[in-house]
Amino acid sequence: MSAIAYSLAVFVLLSAVATALFRDVLSAIVVFAAYSLGMAILYTYLLAPDVAMTEAAIGAGVTTILLLLTIARTTRPSAEEVFERVDVPAVVVVGAFVLVLATLLPDMYAVGTQDAPIWGQGVLSETPTVHYVQEAYAETHAHNAVSAVLASYRGFDTFGEAVVVFAAGIAVLLVLKREVFA
Amino acid sequence: MNGELLADVFLGAAALFVVLAIVLFYRVAAGPTTQDRLLAVNVLGTNTVVILALLAVGLDETSFLDIALIYALLNFLMAIAISKFTVERGGVL
Repeated sequence: MSAIAYSLAVFVLLSAVATALFRDVLSAIVVFAAYSLGMAILYTYLLAPDVAMTEAAIGAGVTTILLLLTIARTTRPSAEEVFERVDVPAVVVVGAFVLVLATLLPDMYAVGTQDAPIWGQGVLSETPTVHYVQEAYAETHAHNAVSAVLASYRGFDTFGEAVVVFAAGIAVLLVLKREVFA
Repeated sequence: MNGELLADVFLGAAALFVVLAIVLFYRVAAGPTTQDRLLAVNVLGTNTVVILALLAVGLDETSFLDIALIYALLNFLMAIAISKFTVERGGVL
């Protein structure tokens, strides 16, 4: 990992902690936008431009406006102090969880390596990944393997997801149409 | 060889801009008013466009420029939404 990855990680961590600690909701929304910027660069750097593009469109536009609409319709608690007081037991639990994940980190394969078991070695030479990469075009005529999996191999699953998102959108519209909550 | 060196220069410049983003984040965290934070995040957005463009050259992926374009197009949205929210409370869109 290069200098970009490390400094990006520092930036994302800082903005995430700041978002969690801000007492004022409006400030938290603004800082959350900064977090989204860092994540988009990180996705781009890890060569996932489709995810980065979604993050750019959602993070820069939709999330902020939805959250603002939420505090416009509800109340915005005002407080004297800028930062929330840190909840020590919660920090201990989260810290332990992070520690467990960090101990597992060195065992992970490097990004893009050919040694990963997902590419199939020896007995496991015919893994689903290998099959999708080799046969996706012949079976589905989709040029992009990710699109082939999403829209063809697990098409019904994606259809279910679309139904859920649609239902959530209708629910949001119904809630937004009501009067301001006291 | 020369091209690799040039790519390293661009990636190094991108890393420097990320460090600049961390420095800018001080203003986001320190405030003191929400408007200060908003302006700082707006600068961060412009900074992000520059970083994405540098990454596009450094990693030789022209498709990254599309993401930079999306950010350049959408960066003003939050400033407008929050300004409207502050001026006329309750109005966002």
